[in-house]
Amino acid sequence: MDLKDFLRRVELFDSLTEAELEKVAAICQERSFHRGDLLTKQETPGEDLFIVTQGFVEVFLEAPQRVVVNLGAGQIVGEMALVDQGLSSATVRAVEEPTITQVIRFAQLEQLFQQDASIGFKIIRNIAADLSFKLRHRNLSER
Amino acid sequence: MASYKVSYVVIGMDHPGGIANLDHKPFVGEQVRLSDLTFEILEVFEIMPARGGFHYYHATCHPIPTDISSAGTHQESS
Repeated sequence: MDLKDFLRRVELFDSLTEAELEKVAAICQERSFHRGDLLTKQETPGEDLFIVTQGFVEVFLEAPQRVVVNLGAGQIVGEMALVDQGLSSATVRAVEEPTITQVIRFAQLEQLFQQDASIGFKIIRNIAADLSFKLRHRNLSER
Repeated sequence: MASYKVSYVVIGMDHPGGIANLDHKPFVGEQVRLSDLTFEILEVFEIMPARGGFHYYHATCHPIPTDISSAGTHQESS
C-alpha cells in the first residue's frame, strides 16, 4: 500500500481531497521503532505527531505507573501536545517488533495549516473526533 | 472503502485494552491481537455515528485460555 492509500484510511485525514492528501504526504517521514523504544516521554516537549502504520504502542503514565491503552494501526500519538502546546501527557513506547510510524513535525503541520486553512480545519476537527473516541474508550473501560 | 475504528476493552484480566483500525466490522467470536496477547470478542456495538468512510465500534473481549497461561511473556506477532 502506498503512502497516500494508507493516509486515506487514517481518520485524521478523513475528507481531505486528493490534492490535500498530496500535501500531507509530502511532509510525512517513516520512522521504525524496536520494541521498548520511546516515541514520546511524559512531561517533555512534544515536537512530532506519529501515525502508527504497523505494530502497537502502549501509552504509559508515570505516576502511578500504569499502561492506559494500546494503540494499533491507524492511531495517532502526540495530538494532545499539538493541540494544547503543552508537554507530552504520557510516555509512549513501541511494544511490537517492529513498530512502524509515519511522523509529521508539528512545525511543518502548523505551516501547512497556515498555508491551507481547509486542511487545518479538517485535521483539527478529526483530532477532536479522535479525542472524543479515546474518551469514550476510557469511559467504557471503567464500566 | 470503509474503515472501522475499534475500542477494545478486556475483561477477565488486568489489561488496558486498545484502539486499532480494521478493514471489516468486528464480530462476536473474532480473535484479535492487542500488542502481545490474543483475545476473543464477546460483544460489539457502535459507539459513534459513522462519518465519511469511518465507522466507530466498541468490542468487549476476554483472553483466550492459552494466552492466560502465558500472560507476562512475549509472543511473536503474527
